[in-house]
Amino acid sequence: MNRLFYSNIKQVKRLVVMTLITLLAVNTTLQAQELSAEQIIAKANLAAYYAGDDGSAQARMIIVDENGQKQMRQFIILRQDKKDLGDQNMLVFFSRPSNVKDTVFRVEKHTEQDDNRWLYLPALDLVKRISAGDKRTSFVGSHFFYEDVSGRNPNEDSFSLLSEDDNSYTIKAVPKNKNSVEFNYYIINISKSNFLPTESTYFDAQAKPVRKMTVLKVKNITGNATVMKSRITDLTNNSYTEMQFRKVKYDIGLPNNIFSERSMRTPPKAWLK
Amino acid sequence: MKFSFLRSLLPFIVALLAATILVTSQPIQAMPAQNNHGGFDVHIPENTPDNINEEDEDWGDDWAEEEVTSPWQVTGIIEAAYGQFLQSNMTEKSSSLNEIRARINIDYSHSLFELAWKIDSRYDAVLDKKIWQTRELNVAASPFSFLDVKVGRQVLTWGTGDYLFLNDLFAKDWQSFFSGRADEYLKAPSDSIRTNWYFDNVNFTLVWTPEFTPDNYITGERFSFYSLQMQKIVAPRETFPVTKTNNSQWSARLNTSVNNIELSLYGYQGYWPTPQGGKATVENQAQGYFPKLNSWGFSALTTYAGGVINLEYSRYNSIEDRHGKNNNIANGQHRFLLGYERELAKNLTASVQYYLERTANYQALLENSTTPEQVVDENRQLITLRLTYRTQQQTLTYSLFSFYSPTDHDAYLKPSINYQYNDQWLFSAGANVFIGKDDYSFFGQHQDNTNTWLRLRYAY
Repeated sequence: MNRLFYSNIKQVKRLVVMTLITLLAVNTTLQAQELSAEQIIAKANLAAYYAGDDGSAQARMIIVDENGQKQMRQFIILRQDKKDLGDQNMLVFFSRPSNVKDTVFRVEKHTEQDDNRWLYLPALDLVKRISAGDKRTSFVGSHFFYEDVSGRNPNEDSFSLLSEDDNSYTIKAVPKNKNSVEFNYYIINISKSNFLPTESTYFDAQAKPVRKMTVLKVKNITGNATVMKSRITDLTNNSYTEMQFRKVKYDIGLPNNIFSERSMRTPPKAWLK
Repeated sequence: MKFSFLRSLLPFIVALLAATILVTSQPIQAMPAQNNHGGFDVHIPENTPDNINEEDEDWGDDWAEEEVTSPWQVTGIIEAAYGQFLQSNMTEKSSSLNEIRARINIDYSHSLFELAWKIDSRYDAVLDKKIWQTRELNVAASPFSFLDVKVGRQVLTWGTGDYLFLNDLFAKDWQSFFSGRADEYLKAPSDSIRTNWYFDNVNFTLVWTPEFTPDNYITGERFSFYSLQMQKIVAPRETFPVTKTNNSQWSARLNTSVNNIELSLYGYQGYWPTPQGGKATVENQAQGYFPKLNSWGFSALTTYAGGVINLEYSRYNSIEDRHGKNNNIANGQHRFLLGYERELAKNLTASVQYYLERTANYQALLENSTTPEQVVDENRQLITLRLTYRTQQQTLTYSLFSFYSPTDHDAYLKPSINYQYNDQWLFSAGANVFIGKDDYSFFGQHQDNTNTWLRLRYAY
């Protein structure tokens, strides 16, 4: 009786352990399967471009050409999300160098239609509407494209998960319309811990790497993992641009009416400190 | 340009300056701050190993959180410019542009207001003189949440045209435009009070210029032009006599956005910006003057097919010659503009404009003109095309702007190349080419003014 009882308990124990192990294993597989490449990209987009409901930051870029000649841009960005992964408002106030000082760039980013863009030219006190244009052209002469600054629309690419390890996912992205871009495909590494992209490499038709984005520094700011320093290198001639941020703030409660022509002519000083 | 209005403002501005200097007593800091490696003004702690290597020093990993910021900012440019006529011209000099310019921009930022002072001084070898000009001296503030005010000398612009102006009757500098100075100099400053009123989605701008500010129009000092009186091209060394007016001008704009369409209504009460009128003096000498002009108009601008489309209309009422019977005063006009701009290919942008200038009371003009065969077409038309191509990481810009008039049978081409060598040095070269069938047409009269120019600019 006792022996039977004990053997039963043993059996139950084994059963429980087995079940737990199976469950765990299944669960792990399920978790990995749960996140498709598209879902990882969506999370990465959210982490990289939609942290908080709004935010402000000071940024500077050093643009280094293939001869080592340097240029610099310094600006303040104000951002407001209309909806996560949706439309956004952005204001970029340039302060340096002196030939772009007080120039203001304003964007209404739309995911379903063309962006609206305006430029304020201080020398003429003129707000000029500018055409939406190719998003893969240089942002103010840097190696960053407009798309790198405001985020590439995930609907433009097809994604496949190439591999993953304990720390990151590696995803291949192939543009749906190859005529719209200068690359054939790109491979992006995304951190598992915070879903920030850590590196993206763009390949040409010969599968040769031609352009690379590298994240150099990440900092946690009020719960949001934030890229503080990154670099984009043109691998064909090793010219590059480094972008750094400071005074990054999230959820500061920017009023809607900040994103207007008025702010371009009369910058809202209280929000630019 | 008269300075009396500015003079009356000066004590106020000086007092304000003195007060703020006393209160803040912070040193003026040049901007961008120059450090010995020509990079950022970044505070690098002495114990950072990074400062061993110049490359790393630029990139001190921690971008100093605190930086000494001064409310004062001083920037500016030094520029040498030279332009030469490409054919013999009747002007005194064979150069259209020959100057060295120094510009100092002083900005002071206070929590309650902004002060801007831009001093432009140049030695102009075409005019053989040193010229000091205060390009801007103004104070801007937002006394109420719905109101922005800017008082003093300032540059004002509005309207949707590209190098074409309909509702924008603020002063322009055509001499700068024709000689190849930087685009910003096409706009001349005026001593004005600008108020901007904001109500939800509607913005109302009212500009009062106590003393009418005319254009810096073409005179014989620098360029030749067609004289209707003398029936030939002239370039009088003494600027022809023009009666100035000291009365004020008003400009207003109501601006809103509906369904992504930017709509504006405009109004103007003042004078023709160029001496479009002539009258006899006591000595029976012909003298130019600025006849009264009122105008109203509207514009609409929106995105269309990946580009921007704009439409503008303006009605010019030449109220001293309502019926067009006075041969010495310009007739009223209807001005109409349709434009479209878009990117054609990566880094290549094109814009086209169609412009119509319809003379009011045209029959009366013809009947009263002493030279009816030289009168502009009733519907003067212009087509413009701008092509801009940027390359080498946007440091090199090729640009061509062209005007062509099928009714005047003339054209004006403005090709240019800009090379931004680094943040400081800008090299530019270009030309102003005038082509025309007749000596008396708008651009045709400037055929001998065709010139080419070079500019070298250092910005600090």
